[in-house]
Amino acid sequence: MTIRTVFRNEMRLLAADRVLLSSLVLFVALFAYAIANGFAWVAKQEGTVAAVQAAEEERGAALAAELERIAAGGDPGSPFRDPRAANVLGGNLGARTVVLGPGPLASLSVGQSDLLPYYYDVSIYTNEQTFLQNGEVENPLNLMVGRFDLAFIIIYLLPLLVLALSYNVLSGEREQGTLALTLSQPVAVRDVVVAKLLFRALLVVGLALGGSLVGAAVWGGLGAPVRLALWCGAVVTYGLFWFGTAAWVNTLGRESSWNATVLVGAWLGLVVVLPAVGNIAAGILHPLPSRVEMINTAREASNESVNRRSELLARYLEDHPEMAGGVVDDVAGTAALSWAATEEVNRQVEGVAVRFDEQLSKQQALVSRYRLVSPALLAQSVLNDAAGSGDARFAHFEAQVRTFAEEWRGYFVPAILAGQVMTAEAAMGRPEFVYSEEELSVVLGRSAMPLAMLLTLALLAVVPAAIRLGRVRGGG
Amino acid sequence: MQSQTVSDPEVTSQAPTVRPILEARSLSKSYGETHALSELDLSVAPGDIYCLLGPNGAGKTTTINLFLGFIAPTSGQALVADLDVAEHDRETKAYLAYIPEQVMLYRNLTGLENLEYFAALAGKKLEVDQLRSTLVEAGLQSEAIDRRVSGYSKGMRQKVGIAIALAKEATALLLDEPTSGLDPKASNEFSALLEGLRERGVAVLMATHDLFRAKETGTRVGIMRHGRLVAEMSTSELGHSDLERIYLNHMRE
Repeated sequence: MTIRTVFRNEMRLLAADRVLLSSLVLFVALFAYAIANGFAWVAKQEGTVAAVQAAEEERGAALAAELERIAAGGDPGSPFRDPRAANVLGGNLGARTVVLGPGPLASLSVGQSDLLPYYYDVSIYTNEQTFLQNGEVENPLNLMVGRFDLAFIIIYLLPLLVLALSYNVLSGEREQGTLALTLSQPVAVRDVVVAKLLFRALLVVGLALGGSLVGAAVWGGLGAPVRLALWCGAVVTYGLFWFGTAAWVNTLGRESSWNATVLVGAWLGLVVVLPAVGNIAAGILHPLPSRVEMINTAREASNESVNRRSELLARYLEDHPEMAGGVVDDVAGTAALSWAATEEVNRQVEGVAVRFDEQLSKQQALVSRYRLVSPALLAQSVLNDAAGSGDARFAHFEAQVRTFAEEWRGYFVPAILAGQVMTAEAAMGRPEFVYSEEELSVVLGRSAMPLAMLLTLALLAVVPAAIRLGRVRGGG
Repeated sequence: MQSQTVSDPEVTSQAPTVRPILEARSLSKSYGETHALSELDLSVAPGDIYCLLGPNGAGKTTTINLFLGFIAPTSGQALVADLDVAEHDRETKAYLAYIPEQVMLYRNLTGLENLEYFAALAGKKLEVDQLRSTLVEAGLQSEAIDRRVSGYSKGMRQKVGIAIALAKEATALLLDEPTSGLDPKASNEFSALLEGLRERGVAVLMATHDLFRAKETGTRVGIMRHGRLVAEMSTSELGHSDLERIYLNHMRE
């Protein structure tokens, strides 16, 4: 009874309040814009994926045609363009393009997908440098704010709408004098305030959930119901945190202006400052090795390896005596030498890469621990993970690409060192990459902790608010 | 009929013989060393208009707030229809209607919408026609009913407050300085409304500074000072200038 009565009254108050109504309309417009923006990004990503796949098909067709031409007695022209040479075929000529398609709810959250690579050309030259070029932590503001997608609105702007609607949910009643009249009725003030907050929560969270469902439906995300449920769970819990905080601040018995100041301060601290401080702290405590150092190391290693080819080959063959018999003719010998040089470069680069990776994992571990204090970071990690645009899905993709690159080298390197001529069948049968999506249980397992932590933070606000609301008596 | 009982001077200076709706028993409220109310014994029966007189800080508003359960007593009991307010907060409020010095309503809503809301909170779901007739009965002009409250005068807002009391069929009305700031015409209208409620058997407890209004409207008067009830009398026993004289005598002591 109380809930229906309060809801009806709230509806009338909302309809009569032009400022509030305008804010809501503005938010609906922002939601629509964010959905369109997310959709545009996914369309762009899909366009890129389609383009690189088309380019690969074109290369494959050209390769097949060239092999056919050579089989018919044609001249490859140069040994560097001869697809029968394992180092040429396994190098750029026959390279496979591996792609990671947009995540299941990519239209809702661009996440890291505009920063991390979602396709690679895999050849025998794929090495740590390939991955490192994209692995550096970006401008924290870019990482933090991201694009203007639905996740951005939910994380950054939704709390402001929550606060605008509820900073004076109790103090406003006291200030305009209606609390006295309410308290003189046979109802518990807690029931009235909870009903008022519930009305606002249904409005705000309903808007966010509705926007999410529309956004997901636009791009076929409804086919990932578990991820969508995870997304919605994060939105509801994040909303609960902010409503709980607003309710708690209202129970402190201060005036509305004080409530507004404190709540906007909380928003600024938890949503803007804390994540930025976390990123900066990670950079200071665990600085990444410079990329210049990385490039210089690779260049030096490359120059040195060119100068010391014979020595390198001898050393390589000492390491791999089973390959020694294959270096027979000049062309094949040059290829083997070249490969030995490549291996040396890889070895040198690996040293820097290991240090880089170590620092990066330390940074990520710090950020991961640090996010526990910020509901915004917690919610963002769950939203990104649910959408499939978080770090983890890219790491999962990268790990598969590394394995595939190993497989690729395993297919070609013995042939290079043995000086084998690749047949047309071998060329067409070169390894193919098939991406296997993360198991849902892995995604859910990874999101369980941040979601539980977010819920804990929400309850830390809601429970004291509920207790204090039960003690509200005075109408003055 | 209760009104006959209360009009009897022999009886009205004493506690009423019918069961009181509002009753204070040794009711006290202290804030640290400050005694806002000390050992108040008072009862208001149906059809009684009990006016609490006294200067600021005498304990009038504290008394009303204790009956409303807005504050908890330090000792003693505030009873509404024989129920202790401290133990039966919600049940006792079903009997009560409260009109503060400034009846504050939702400014962006109409008088009708405000009445509908507060009546519904009190558990009274009324049809629009009933709401309209209640507002008219409370003295609000029918053309004002659908206007936003932000354009209402204090008197008009009080009428909505009375309408809430009528709608929830309150048996006791608690008023805190209701006539301060009202012009004489509006004050007279308000007194007439109170008289109507009294005739229906509603018990009225009104805190006021207005000696004239207390004499004209009240059936009984209590004078408070420093948190204590220092005198209690029936208005029918008093001559025109008696109340002022008695009041001032008590203030000089």
